[in-house]
Amino acid sequence: MTTQPQTKRWQVSRRQFLIGIGAGTATLAIGLAASAPTLKREAQLAINQAFLNGEAPSSDTPKAPFIWFEIHADNSAFLYIPKMEMGQGIHTTLAQVAADELELDWERVTVRQPDIRHGFDAGLLFTFGSTSTTSLYQPIREVSATLREMIRQEAAQQLGTTADALTLDKGTFKHGETIVTYGEIIANKQGEWDIPEDPAPLKDARNFRYIGQSVKRVDFKEKLTGRAVYGYDARAEGMLYGAIARPPRYQATLTHASEGTAKSLPGVVEVVIQEGFAGVVATTRRQAYAALDALELTWEGGSEMSQAELETFMRFDDRTDGVLIQREGNPNEAFQDGATLTAEYFTPMAVHAHLEPQAALAEIVDGQYIITTSTQSPEISQQSVANGLGIEADQVQVIPTFIGGGFGRKTGTDVALEAARLAQAVNRPVHVGWNRTEEMRYGYRRPPTINILRAQISEDNQLVAVDHTLSSSDTLFAEGIGLPRFAQNILGADPLSASGSQLIYNIPNRAVTYHHRRLPIPTAYWRGLGSFANTFAIETFMDEIAHALQVDPLEFRLRHLPEGEIGERIKIALETVRQASNWGQAMPDGMGRGLAIAYDRKTVVALVMTVQVDGEKIQARQAWCAIDPGLVVNPDGAASQVQGQIVMGLSSALLEEQVIENGLATDSNFNTYPLITLRDTPTIEVFPLKSADAPTGGLGEPVIGTVPAAVSNAVFAITGQRLRRMPFNLARL
Amino acid sequence: MELKINDATIEVASSPDEPLLWVLRDELGLTGTKFGCGIGICGSCTVHVDGVATRSCVTPISSVADKAITTIEGLSTTDENGVEVLHPIQQAFIDEQVPQCSWCMSGQMMTASAFLQQNPSPNEEEIVNAMSNNYCRCGCYVRIKAAVARVAQAEVSA
Repeated sequence: MTTQPQTKRWQVSRRQFLIGIGAGTATLAIGLAASAPTLKREAQLAINQAFLNGEAPSSDTPKAPFIWFEIHADNSAFLYIPKMEMGQGIHTTLAQVAADELELDWERVTVRQPDIRHGFDAGLLFTFGSTSTTSLYQPIREVSATLREMIRQEAAQQLGTTADALTLDKGTFKHGETIVTYGEIIANKQGEWDIPEDPAPLKDARNFRYIGQSVKRVDFKEKLTGRAVYGYDARAEGMLYGAIARPPRYQATLTHASEGTAKSLPGVVEVVIQEGFAGVVATTRRQAYAALDALELTWEGGSEMSQAELETFMRFDDRTDGVLIQREGNPNEAFQDGATLTAEYFTPMAVHAHLEPQAALAEIVDGQYIITTSTQSPEISQQSVANGLGIEADQVQVIPTFIGGGFGRKTGTDVALEAARLAQAVNRPVHVGWNRTEEMRYGYRRPPTINILRAQISEDNQLVAVDHTLSSSDTLFAEGIGLPRFAQNILGADPLSASGSQLIYNIPNRAVTYHHRRLPIPTAYWRGLGSFANTFAIETFMDEIAHALQVDPLEFRLRHLPEGEIGERIKIALETVRQASNWGQAMPDGMGRGLAIAYDRKTVVALVMTVQVDGEKIQARQAWCAIDPGLVVNPDGAASQVQGQIVMGLSSALLEEQVIENGLATDSNFNTYPLITLRDTPTIEVFPLKSADAPTGGLGEPVIGTVPAAVSNAVFAITGQRLRRMPFNLARL
Repeated sequence: MELKINDATIEVASSPDEPLLWVLRDELGLTGTKFGCGIGICGSCTVHVDGVATRSCVTPISSVADKAITTIEGLSTTDENGVEVLHPIQQAFIDEQVPQCSWCMSGQMMTASAFLQQNPSPNEEEIVNAMSNNYCRCGCYVRIKAAVARVAQAEVSA
């Protein structure tokens, strides 16, 4: 791969629009500055909702376009979609939205990954929290509609008629016998484009051509032929390979380092020793890693925590300690005489296990650092490299690639800086690609969580109160990649570890209390954030209450639906899976059904699973999942997201646990930390529901927390045994 | 040392104990074969050696010197007009819209194509057995099964 540095930025020529005429007049390149009517609001909302004004990328000085169209003279269209493609299909989804409103011929559309050089400097590339579709749907429609009408006006002028005399289909205007394409209109344009102040009217939803259709993914041909480039695949002429020394315990500091015999080993080009950092650059990856063993390193301090100590550390006994994050009614009074029902749940640490490990290629070209990397957050990678090297951000260009699985881990930017440090030291391109042991041990991981739920049932069998107390470790409070300490101190509760902890059921008295535990082990963003552990605990406990009240778990939920629109949507989702699964039917021996719901990222989820228990073996056999994110842009893509979350949720529920000994994760690879395979995957039916004219909720995460709850509830239905600790183990009960 | 890769004989400079995976990727630039675990468990690095699905991350090149190696780059063919013709398993993975991130998919398709070569008409259980040794963290398993079944014209549950 070769890269050309491009420091020139397109200049804003109007208040809202940014237009550049490409090479010659054959290309119209257009983007919309981030101050577009709804974009800034939506982008800020998305970022604020997740980051509460923390150190998130700034969106307050927008000066760059957020979507970039190129329409060439031959009427081919190139869309630069400002989100990272990590498997969720976002390039396809957002291209559908743009192509629909712009009336493009889908067969002539090519989607391209933008980079920071295309001007996306308002934090928009950051891909997180299942927010891409909801935050960009309206702004992309507005800019696409406006561009469509600009070309229509120009076409009318060129044809000597009025805009309303033209019919438009697939990027082609018809006027009587005359047929002219967007590309021809753009190529024939003289002078500057006239840009309207206000967005053009949007299409009526009844006329959607691509939105709501299972359009095929745009990235599969290059992926399935092996041509797609991911961060691990990045190459440059004369590139070398780097490896980094890792501490023997978390939080240990490198106090002394020397080359030892490393420099004399085969292939070693350079040993790089800096403050708290030691790495090797060599001709091959194996040579670089082999040479690490020859370095003389002294590590001091750090944690020697064991798993037993970790679990003790996470405990909380004093119920008055902690931060109250929800209170409805008077829960203190309701629980003054104790609780009718109490249950404790545990969700262990787990790794992301994306199959493409972290990777970055760093090159220095004319004083510019060019970083090619698979990252969910190119802007943060840019800033991290600049800060780490002590240079200006505009000396760093980040070229994001396809991502081989992210799940929250590739918001970390460690590998980009590691590659940049080594490239700086040898002044040659250096690729750093982590191995699986580094992934297992040296990234951040899902925080462990303890949830204790209590219920108060009155003498006349009414559920009068539920409270939820939990402890978890860092997500948004993670060192270096989360909120600054002063903001943490004000909040008290990590809002992302606490996500999904709210009790939304209509119960008169409710409380949620959060205890933060700062572990000496890095924990942070993992798919679903806190909603994985919290939905598991709450939805299993609701099943426990239903059984205590001798009410069918589905009926129980219907009786306690939240008031208003959300309750209505949950009801429809519940009825959908009730009917699809034939809920309530008798099950054969060893088989049973479990149910769980979620309202997460503004999406409603209802999941029913059929589970089989054979001895101590738990296997999911069937799943029916209703999802209501408002409007689904691509139903088949949505189904993929649901299938993926069910599989990943099962893998976590049944198999995955990361434990530590002597301050370090014990597992180093999949031999002791296996993932689920096809053999243990159930059949899955997905039911996308529509409750709005636009997407209002995310789809990448809301399902995952319902999976362990549905499995636990099904196992109880079969065996009468209640699984409250993941990974589930019937032998341990 | 010479290797026969995708019908071409290629001189490689790597040492004989170098795993085939890194020779393919780093020396030859055939990056369609992916690294996942390095210990032969995840299956992302699967290639064909004399038609047999093989984990290239634990295969030193010295052991494949006289053998025919096929990677994902060699799975498709070219017709008389120079147009790329996808292998039926590649086409089936598109038709079933199998991948998400797709990092594991080269390995999935190399595993599936070698399996179907050995057993062109498998039943569902045989497909599940053959495809249960490759990890997919995005969880595309039901679609992987459907795609293999599509090529085999087998009836499977979804």
